[in-house]
Amino acid sequence: MTPLAQSLAFGILVGGLYGLAAVGLSLVFGVTKFLNVAHGELLMLGGYAGFWFFTLWGVDPFLSLPIVVACLVLMGLVLYKLLFSRMVKLSEENKIKNTLLVGFGLSLIFQNLALRLWTADDRGITTSYSGQAFTVLGVRFPMVRVASLGIALVCLLALHLFLHRTYTGKAIRATVQDWEAATLMGIDIHKVYLLSFVLGAALAGVAGALVSVGYSIQPTMGLEWTLIALVVMVLGGLGSIPGTLVGGLILGVTQSLTSYWIGGTYREIVALLLFLVVLVVRPQGLFGSKEG
Amino acid sequence: MSGKRLVVIALVIAGLALLTVLPVLVQSDSIINLAILALLYIALASSWNVLGGYTGQTNLGHAAFFGLGSLTTRLLWLSVGWPLPLSLLAGGVVAVVFALLVGAPAFKLRGVYFAIGTLALAQVLNMTVGNMFPMITSLPAEYLATYQLAPRYYLFLGLALLTVGTAYVLVHSRLGLGMMAVREEEEAAESLGVSAFRHKLLALSVSAFFAGLTGGAFAFYHVGYYPQFPFGPVWTFDSMMMAYIGGTGTIIGPIIGAVFFVVAKELLALNLLELHLTVFGTLFILVVLFLPGGLVEAWGRIRRVLARRARAREVRLASPEQASGHQTVVGL
Amino acid sequence: MMLVVEGVDACYKDLQALWGVSLQIGEGELVALVGPNGAGKTSTLKVISGLLKPIAGNVLLDGRSLVKEPAHRIVELGISQVPEGGRVFTGLTVLENLELGAFGAKARKAKDESLRWVYGIFPRLEERKKQRAGTLSGGERQMLAIGRALMSKPRLLLLDEPSFGLAPLLVEQIFQMITEINRQGVTVLLVEQNVRAALELTNRAYVIENGRIVGEGSGEALLSFESVRSAYLGCAPSPGLAG
Repeated sequence: MTPLAQSLAFGILVGGLYGLAAVGLSLVFGVTKFLNVAHGELLMLGGYAGFWFFTLWGVDPFLSLPIVVACLVLMGLVLYKLLFSRMVKLSEENKIKNTLLVGFGLSLIFQNLALRLWTADDRGITTSYSGQAFTVLGVRFPMVRVASLGIALVCLLALHLFLHRTYTGKAIRATVQDWEAATLMGIDIHKVYLLSFVLGAALAGVAGALVSVGYSIQPTMGLEWTLIALVVMVLGGLGSIPGTLVGGLILGVTQSLTSYWIGGTYREIVALLLFLVVLVVRPQGLFGSKEG
Repeated sequence: MSGKRLVVIALVIAGLALLTVLPVLVQSDSIINLAILALLYIALASSWNVLGGYTGQTNLGHAAFFGLGSLTTRLLWLSVGWPLPLSLLAGGVVAVVFALLVGAPAFKLRGVYFAIGTLALAQVLNMTVGNMFPMITSLPAEYLATYQLAPRYYLFLGLALLTVGTAYVLVHSRLGLGMMAVREEEEAAESLGVSAFRHKLLALSVSAFFAGLTGGAFAFYHVGYYPQFPFGPVWTFDSMMMAYIGGTGTIIGPIIGAVFFVVAKELLALNLLELHLTVFGTLFILVVLFLPGGLVEAWGRIRRVLARRARAREVRLASPEQASGHQTVVGL
Repeated sequence: MMLVVEGVDACYKDLQALWGVSLQIGEGELVALVGPNGAGKTSTLKVISGLLKPIAGNVLLDGRSLVKEPAHRIVELGISQVPEGGRVFTGLTVLENLELGAFGAKARKAKDESLRWVYGIFPRLEERKKQRAGTLSGGERQMLAIGRALMSKPRLLLLDEPSFGLAPLLVEQIFQMITEINRQGVTVLLVEQNVRAALELTNRAYVIENGRIVGEGSGEALLSFESVRSAYLGCAPSPGLAG
């Protein structure tokens, strides 16, 4: 029983991170209809930021999160102003296509730069408490991963509160539903787009930093995580933060259980197959609403 | 037939002639290999363009067809012992069969969901093949001894010509018109009796078949590689980039894009080695943002500007008095 | 004159929708803009509210030109549009919709007061304030849309076909509320296909046909226009008299 429970535990722990990785992309796509396939690279940047703050200056990876956020906010701003703001006026279909392409270009650039700057080695952060874990009913919960899950949940909750309790958050939700009507309320769509994009980048950065502390990072991790984010985004349903979290958990648990029953090499395959089934059967995701 | 058209046709024929005798003219293997790469990309980008550029379905799983073709051909040719032509054909066929199987559910998805779904599906194949065939596949000794580059070159040349030729014929037929109608306004096309599903499936099949054949040629060409390699998403993304750089929705676009891609990468790699992908990525982004129709459209714009200037010049020469008060509109 | 539209030409991509449109609205007036389907009524409203930028002509609010201002700024300047169909945010609650109507900094400060005002005109909205807007009936959605536009305490309210798709009894109710809103000091420009109803509300209307203003005046004067007559009296239009 215990190895199975252990698998489940690991699946849940990583699933929370999957949800966090996806929610940034979901927010950006939902609001702006930009399909930023370089989202995974932003996550990677967050990972390396956390890694270097720790390795060079000894800053604890959890404490450096605000700085990582600041870095990614800056990056998001630059990317938006330079590139993505030029695509705001396109039709929805062209927005998706063009941002897809620009995302490719960006991922080429970021991967190449990361490879040159930081080498292809796997990196991870090992702190003084990295090995600690607490055990419940024979199941081992590494402290670092539990803390990461906790932070991920806090971020998701904060985002939810932001979108539902603040004026700006409601303006964002309104823009998702009907941007023209939102304009008529006096909402500056460009500011909403910018804010969403930057928020998305920040969330990716946090996820990346958490990955570097509990797992490992490489310059080539971008595509893998972009795919995870895309899968979880669709699985959970656009526009639903709880849905995205659940989607992440489902993906994580599916991978773990597959690893346990069939073998590690098949964990991603089964997860993707599950995703494809959901996509065909219920494309709006588990919690999404049927949108026109 | 206008003089210009004759010039174009003459150029094309000259170009083809040159391509045909290239292996004889040029003794350098590295140049032939580069040419092969370009021809491979021409075929791959053109086949992607049939579904992506002309029918408007952004397929992010193109590598699956390429991979299936290469896997099938390699297995049948080396392990089972089939003659090469049959193995190649089988590669194309397997790719098409796969396409038809997944086409029906796939085309239920629209827009971004279709893109993500095809990407996920291709990744499933990628990883499954990686699990099932983890060992390198190498040409056995007797084939290695008799390995010649020229036949491989001609295979790719023929393949590129066949792919481009088929695309050309298809696009200029009624079916091609239907495909473009589906791309522009799917619902309107349906209401006119154009079955969107059938046209998409046709485009998908053509796209898959030629990508599969190209995969088979890849299997014939490479001495040793991991069977998983041609399934990698990089092949899809590269094909897309080439099609967009050259200009999707045109026949010549993928060709220009492929040549540009190969040449640019080679030049950049020679000069900048470490950062050539960075430069390339930047170039690509610039093209997407500022040259939405790719190089084909850029060329079209240049021609229009030149034509306008030529016309204005004619007016000035014809009647200087008229021309002095005449506003010449130059540029866009 | 509070609002002056002069000589506006406007296009959607390559299609010209408005030719030399001019109209004037004085403070406190209730003016109607009537015309057949596709005549350019919505386009005119969009030019005023800033969603559509004219290629020629001007829009002046108290003498100040609006054509260079982005749409969200025009709301702050005191013009609020209720788009066709209301276009409430169906995923948000009634209260959230209303709150968003008071998005601008000034309006936000006066939010509670505005809410009381709007609830006063539309008591049904207060009853349903926690409900998701998507669950409201057509008439209630229209009321919500108008209430939402009022939350910014606009000086000028632009209404795009508020009667559309509503049962006659509801139309009457809505129009009564519009009259009341106008009575409370809000200038109103009402766009309507339902000429009969519009002319009951006000005696001053513009007629627009094929993107051009073809006339202005009171009820009787308007009857001379073909489109108005056919709409009002149900006669078939006779050829040769279209603007």
